[in-house]
Amino acid sequence: MRNDVLLDIATFLARRWSGNSRIVISIMRDIIPTARPEKGQIVLPIIDYFPGTDFQKYRQWRVALWYESMRIMHSSKVLSYDHAYGFLLNTIEKKRIEFLGLLQWQGMVKEIIFNESIFWLSCPLLNSLYGRHKVVEAFSQYFLTGYIKGELFGSEFERVKASAEFANSLVDQAIKNNYGTDWIERHIPKLIKMLEIDPLVSIPIIAPRTRIGLSINRSDLLKQIENLLSTSTKYKPDEIDSTTKKVAEGNDVLNEFKTLLNESTKTENKGYESLENLGLSIPKRLDLDETQIYDMDLIERTKAAFRDWKSGWVELHDKTGEEFDSESYAEMLAKPFLTDVKLSIRTKVAILLDHSSSIEDVELEYKQATIALCEALYHLGVKFAVYAFSTEARQVKCWIIKPLNIKWSTISARRLAQIKASGGTPLAEIYGLLLPITKSFKPEIMVTLTDGEPSDSSAVREMVLSYRKMGINMVGLGVGRNLNDSVGIAHNLKYLNYQKTLAVSRLQDIPKKVINLLRV
Amino acid sequence: MMLEVNYIDWNNALSILSKAFETKLFVLIIGPKGTGKTTLVRKFASHMKKDLYSVNFSLRTRESHLIGTKTLEKGEVSFVEGILVKSMRDGNMLYLDELNAAEADVLLRLDEALDDRRQLVLKEAEGQIVNAAADWFVIATINPLSHVGTKELPPQLLSRFPFRLKLEYPPEDIELQIINQHTSVDSSKIDEVKRSIKLAKSLREAAALEELYYSPSLRETIAFAKLIGKGVASKQAAEIVYANVYDQWGEVEYQKVMDMITSIFDS
Repeated sequence: MRNDVLLDIATFLARRWSGNSRIVISIMRDIIPTARPEKGQIVLPIIDYFPGTDFQKYRQWRVALWYESMRIMHSSKVLSYDHAYGFLLNTIEKKRIEFLGLLQWQGMVKEIIFNESIFWLSCPLLNSLYGRHKVVEAFSQYFLTGYIKGELFGSEFERVKASAEFANSLVDQAIKNNYGTDWIERHIPKLIKMLEIDPLVSIPIIAPRTRIGLSINRSDLLKQIENLLSTSTKYKPDEIDSTTKKVAEGNDVLNEFKTLLNESTKTENKGYESLENLGLSIPKRLDLDETQIYDMDLIERTKAAFRDWKSGWVELHDKTGEEFDSESYAEMLAKPFLTDVKLSIRTKVAILLDHSSSIEDVELEYKQATIALCEALYHLGVKFAVYAFSTEARQVKCWIIKPLNIKWSTISARRLAQIKASGGTPLAEIYGLLLPITKSFKPEIMVTLTDGEPSDSSAVREMVLSYRKMGINMVGLGVGRNLNDSVGIAHNLKYLNYQKTLAVSRLQDIPKKVINLLRV
Repeated sequence: MMLEVNYIDWNNALSILSKAFETKLFVLIIGPKGTGKTTLVRKFASHMKKDLYSVNFSLRTRESHLIGTKTLEKGEVSFVEGILVKSMRDGNMLYLDELNAAEADVLLRLDEALDDRRQLVLKEAEGQIVNAAADWFVIATINPLSHVGTKELPPQLLSRFPFRLKLEYPPEDIELQIINQHTSVDSSKIDEVKRSIKLAKSLREAAALEELYYSPSLRETIAFAKLIGKGVASKQAAEIVYANVYDQWGEVEYQKVMDMITSIFDS
């Protein structure tokens, strides 16, 4: 399962579940699922963080996303899990937000039961824990499930039981009186006192899969699911058996999993064995915030400028057609018939972004312009591909931001956001690298966003001419620091043999002017 | 004979329309599809006891549909008046539905009739001048520009409609009342209908952000209520009414919506 495919569905679900349309999802290795309500972020681990088969991992990953989305909706604060104070607050909040979340998202019950069953199997045995965090883990088990796994000695169990009862009463009161995270937090010191622990005691976080290994024993899982269902008042005794099977199988989510798996197998390579052999790379990071390169005002104005392209239909007069136009006939016009023709934009567009060091101080503006252009083209339903180049570790890299056959999404924007402007401008070589791909994809227009200062101007002129001979309209677009700079860029671009050129010093000039560049 | 029109006036739209009518200033209603714009206009016409002439604009709407056309009958050329001319002469209510789907030449003739003079010169009929009756009233509706086939209205035409009413999707409790008007919802099913309204709201928000290609309207929530009223299970009804349409944009789109349905409706 590809992480970018997961990111796409996670972003969609998190925004719907949390009611916050600005949520940004990041995926990182081996991190406990965490919500940051103040930043509108959710960080999720890669799917292998969870134990079980691929499908079982996906189900747990999805439930983790749901919990963090509920935190975004109902919690005002999420502290770190690695000390007792934060761990206890987050654990109590989990029960509260689960209750509130299930009021709206009733359909999550079975998945939560499945998740809890696996959680129980992957819980550490208390006997195997040493140190002061043992009591905190015991509290978490008892509070969330009503049981502990293993043994506690002396008065430990009494303390855990009393603390769990106190925590449950906090949750009940909070739900009844509509109290939030702050109110719960005020009672954490009392809970810490009851547990007789230091609030800063470290809590080691271990990925569940490392605790129980790769596979889950099916009969243990079924037994645990059955236990959970039996304690619930929702299910009648004669329903337990059939419901246990339903929960274990997870058919509600199976089709979704299969679709995402299928989506993950779609290759961006267009039949090539390895992109690296072609000198092409894909930016891999999924843990950054791409919203910094989104200028929403510019995007909306670019879409508005492109709107005429989206109107869809045009009426054409001709000598034959679908409808007879009596007015034209009466006026003795040569073409008295009318046909409605759909204005579909058959144009395919390729975009190449120069991210060399010469544009470093306008890097953000170039990225924002590229994003606005991509959002507008996506809005119109135009097929397009986006590439960029920069230098990384002294190596020139040609990046695939969005291939032709993959939908434009936050994944593509995230790829663009992580490229740093650096290095020289081997534009001619990059055109050469992209030649096999552009020959197969055959765009009608290729837009190069550049300041027009390549390492070898003559070579670029030759390459631009050879692209033009292939029937591709070559367009140059530059963003200058000021008016003089833009004038210079415009001259450079013209010299490089681009058929149409545009240089602006203000991003807001782009929308209306760029539409003329794209008309073939 | 005017049929009784059921409309829940949740945002005082009828009162605003009445004030516009009293001042003889035309009204433009702006809102997404399926929010009850046409029902509102029909209710208003019924309330004012006025006949309603309707035009639903599309690419195929010609100038001649509005103005009229010459015809040959029994050897004589005559002029058959179009809906705009008839409505102006009769002084009734004219409803211009989806005005921003009309072609430019059609809008130009409309503009002529809608200005302060309320007058139209029939170049098609020897330059005859048609003056609108004193109580002629026009209401137009437009869908937001994100809809396929819509264009921006020219500013001079926009200015002919100084009263502008926004008609968004109603609040959830109002939507439930509207559904109840169309189909009586059994008390045992109210909770499921409320869930479907929440689902529709989520999907509309996603469509507004262009995260989905289609936004369900009130028609879908009414259809859901009718389906479960006929004994269809709520999850299945939701799939039929809400999810299946997204399949045309690919399996992933469809599964996103199915996930929403799975998380809202317990099977």
